[in-house]
Amino acid sequence: MSQATSQNQFTQGVKFEARSGALAVIALVLMSLFSLGAAALLFNSDPKRTAFSWLFAFSFYFTLGLGALFWVLLHHATNSGWSVVVRRQMENIASLLPFLFFFFIPLILLREKVFKWLTIPPGVDPIVDVKRAFLNEPFFLIRIGIYLVLFGGLSWTLRAFSIRQDKDGDPRWTIRSQGITYALLLPFALTLTAAAIDYLMALNPHWFSTMWGVYIFAGAALNSMALLILIITALRSQGYLAEQINVEHYHIMGKLLFAFTVFWAYIAFSQYFLIWYSNIPEETVYFLRRNTSTWWYLSLFLVVGHFFVPFLFLIARWAKRRPTMLCIAAIWTLFMHLVDLYLVVLPNYSGPRSPGVDFKLSDIVCLLAIGAPMSALFIARLSGCALYPLRDPRLAESLALKN
Amino acid sequence: MSAQSKKKLYGVIAEYDNAAALYHAAEKIRDAGYTRWDVHSPFPIHGMDEAMGLGRSPIGYIVFCGGTAGLLTALGLQWFTAIFDYPLIVHGKPTNLIGTIPAFFPVMFELTILFSAFTAVFSLMLFTALPRWNHPLLGHQQFKKFSDDGFFAVIEARDPKFSLAEAEEILAAVGGKNISEVYDE
Repeated sequence: MSQATSQNQFTQGVKFEARSGALAVIALVLMSLFSLGAAALLFNSDPKRTAFSWLFAFSFYFTLGLGALFWVLLHHATNSGWSVVVRRQMENIASLLPFLFFFFIPLILLREKVFKWLTIPPGVDPIVDVKRAFLNEPFFLIRIGIYLVLFGGLSWTLRAFSIRQDKDGDPRWTIRSQGITYALLLPFALTLTAAAIDYLMALNPHWFSTMWGVYIFAGAALNSMALLILIITALRSQGYLAEQINVEHYHIMGKLLFAFTVFWAYIAFSQYFLIWYSNIPEETVYFLRRNTSTWWYLSLFLVVGHFFVPFLFLIARWAKRRPTMLCIAAIWTLFMHLVDLYLVVLPNYSGPRSPGVDFKLSDIVCLLAIGAPMSALFIARLSGCALYPLRDPRLAESLALKN
Repeated sequence: MSAQSKKKLYGVIAEYDNAAALYHAAEKIRDAGYTRWDVHSPFPIHGMDEAMGLGRSPIGYIVFCGGTAGLLTALGLQWFTAIFDYPLIVHGKPTNLIGTIPAFFPVMFELTILFSAFTAVFSLMLFTALPRWNHPLLGHQQFKKFSDDGFFAVIEARDPKFSLAEAEEILAAVGGKNISEVYDE
């Protein structure tokens, strides 16, 4: 087969038809308006509880975006061959990160209700005082700006290079992407850790865990892979990418889902184990709250549902090679990620009620209020470029993938 | 020549130009219905098990059983010594299984890996009939390239379909070069 015909064969139907997504976009926009309105009402009636729900929802989408960016970076850093055909969707997910920062504005406005260290004056709490070099308001706001610039800039740059390569087929874009990745992979890891500390760990300013960044990263990488599996399957069910992506790609994505299930459990257990073993009050406070009252049942559910269930399900080869099975696993994993983040964020809310599990309407409304506009933006992203990197130098290798 | 004819025939070997040629040769030999044959290359060739028509290896299931045995061994060992037989109070933590099990996890983890690795290695040795001192192919002059740049297919004489003429014919038909007989020394 000549180069021209093979190139032609793979450029057929690679653009997402805006018309087929139009109905979904309209539904999503309506849903966004409705849920954002509902969230606004809830913010008005109970700002503090709603802010915690908002943070829970924000961290869910934030970790998904960060995980997607991680996979793009990893692809370039390791010069991967297999992932070329699925990389564009990762780039699309990651490129929503700057939009997501728009949804952090309510938390900046309500920051004193959520991040309670902001309200502790110097000299009152010695534990917070020694952390003032990091935990101070100006630096906190600067850091959020840094996250926006670094994550946003990185995801947009890598996606732009990839799209430009679709047009001119110049391998220079691949090399440039790799250069950027080598330079910024370590800053990415450090910034991700700082973001995990800012958004989640500092909710209780006394508590600390040196594994926190890795813990959040493990959940992020795992669940963006789950999201990728769902997006690829959704596209394939609409007739896109049918020739490009086959069971071999699913098998690799399944293997990564499995690997990161184990990695998450390894990190989560290591964190629990060290804190449990050394028994220092400053550290155990995190698990004391989560292992008492009704939080305990949620914690047990997390251990079983986030590790044992997907582990035993995904260990079999046949489950990884069947898109339906893999999608069930991916949906379950994303659901457990919600439970995980709920357990991270909500125990820090000490409202007038008991400190046990207390689901509120705002938890769901906030998830929809960020999720619906993000999904609409994602569909817009989808129709903005080809569905996979058309002229990546390693495309042929990816298409001919064998496990 | 008369000395060689007394030796037992092991099989017929053919050399191929590259991995792709060997891959396609394997597909043809598979389709011809041979069961006792093998290919040799300096590096693993992706998709070769399919081209050779090899089924799934049972080793995965055996390793799963080995890993489970390791997990249970570690749990049983620690439960017996530290909870049942002589309860050890460490850090004032309770001496029942639920209250102590986090401390057991590292050992359970390690023994799962150890037992899995052992079952993987030893069951592989069992299935591949290792260890053995020598193999008829290793004495074959042409075969010396197998770890450098040689791509070989060998049809063994113990194959129920084997006949020397037919084996040589099919190896040649799929592009084999330097076809020769291999004798067990």
